Amino acid sequence: MRTSLLLLTLLLLPFNFLKAQAPPDPGDRLIGVWEPSHGKARVKIEKIGTKYYGKIVWLREPNDATTGAPKVDKNNPDEALRSVPLRGYRLLKDFSYTGTDEWAEGTIYDPENGSTYSCVITLKDANTLDIRGYIGVKALGRTDVWKRLQAK
Amino acid sequence: MAVRALLLLALLVPTGLRAQPDTIPASDEEDYSQYDDLGFADEKAKRFAHPKVLDLSPQRFVSVLWDAQGAYTMRSSPRGSWPEEADAPVAEEARATYTGGLRVQANIPVVSRNSIVWQMQANYWDVRYRLSPTISTDSSAGLLRTLGDRGLRTTGLGTTVFKPLGETTFLILQASADLSGDYFLDDPQGLEHLRYSGALMWGRRPHDRLQWGVGLSRTYRVGAINYIPVVMYNYTAPNRKWGTEVLLPARAHYRRTFSPRSLLLAGYELEGQSYRIEGLSTGADSFEVRRGELRLRAEYQRQIKGFVWLSVQAGYRHDWSFNADELPGGNEFFRGFFGDQPFAMLNDLGGAPFAQVGVHLVSP
Repeated sequence: MRTSLLLLTLLLLPFNFLKAQAPPDPGDRLIGVWEPSHGKARVKIEKIGTKYYGKIVWLREPNDATTGAPKVDKNNPDEALRSVPLRGYRLLKDFSYTGTDEWAEGTIYDPENGSTYSCVITLKDANTLDIRGYIGVKALGRTDVWKRLQAK
Repeated sequence: MAVRALLLLALLVPTGLRAQPDTIPASDEEDYSQYDDLGFADEKAKRFAHPKVLDLSPQRFVSVLWDAQGAYTMRSSPRGSWPEEADAPVAEEARATYTGGLRVQANIPVVSRNSIVWQMQANYWDVRYRLSPTISTDSSAGLLRTLGDRGLRTTGLGTTVFKPLGETTFLILQASADLSGDYFLDDPQGLEHLRYSGALMWGRRPHDRLQWGVGLSRTYRVGAINYIPVVMYNYTAPNRKWGTEVLLPARAHYRRTFSPRSLLLAGYELEGQSYRIEGLSTGADSFEVRRGELRLRAEYQRQIKGFVWLSVQAGYRHDWSFNADELPGGNEFFRGFFGDQPFAMLNDLGGAPFAQVGVHLVSP
């Protein structure tokens, strides 16, 4: 009986220990489902390892108007990637939390023109992101405002 | 032994929980239907009309262009008071064997929010003339000689505000101030000679491929000041292969999209400004050439590398107006399409082919 109790305690202890010791990562506030300003897509941002990635999980028009087939990344400059479905496509890559509500060192891909831009993400409030894609320097860029989504 | 093994396992299990994949999963088995029925987490959040439609030619941050026209003949009347239809004598005539110069333009976003987009523009256009005089009478005021010696320049600042009113409606406000004349950058004319243009437009964006608007503008596009209605119609066909980029009356183009990295525009643009000629202006009175050009043109644009694009344009330049006005005290007046105020000089430019090549840094 004593051995069983000891084992149970030891089995549960590490979980409780982790829960108590690991404060919530402030960078994880980026995690969630977001809607870009054009409203044509929804992007799920998740953490993989220590970095953050965002993939398309919903398209307002999921099928190609001409072919009727699910949309693919047909504008990708790499011909080999032009048959990759857009739904599930990771368009935000490699973001690291730098503190002060900012995630940087990542890129954003625009499936409309096949271009990849440097990008910095700023959390304006719990439900609003500024996504700034830029070329070389931040001044040469454009900011899009994304809104957090949740189940109705 | 069994207890020890169990203890070891208990210690290792949480380590396994901490391990995270370093790479992106190759396959994705997610149930995407769970994202169909979502709403804004912030109940006060709104959707706004987007400033663009699909497949528009790329917006340019910075452009450097060279514009050149083929040969044509320029004629200039004596200085006087000439109704537009008068049969004024030719006081000066020259063959222009070269007309062209450098154009530098910048368009920088200042505020870029869903609820408002504000951009600032700057531009510098230089036009040089190489003229071979063929007629020069005693009654000539020397306008063509002055153009050959000094050329014309425009330096301007502008701003554009796109203000969505809702999910499909929007306002566009545009304003600019331009300094145009035969000045040189190291000796510019006074800011009292700035000329102001602007437009206000209300529009709708019913879907991702259509944006239209109507409004009113104050413009120098045909040389002299005018107040005219404006109509915008930016459209992309469902097959995404063609569309229109129209802002009447300033420009209208058919667009053929070959790929996201190359396209062709065919149509026209009106270009113009009121250019103060320093040597012909006396005191506060301003002598201004009302230069307006109709350019029928085709332009091919393509990506060179990354965000650097090339444009090559060719077409025919028709002289809409090159007449001149005397502005007492430098004060502008309105002639419009129907006014009968006489001109201070009647000038005529023959039509000419033109070409333009440019390199652009395009916007995300």
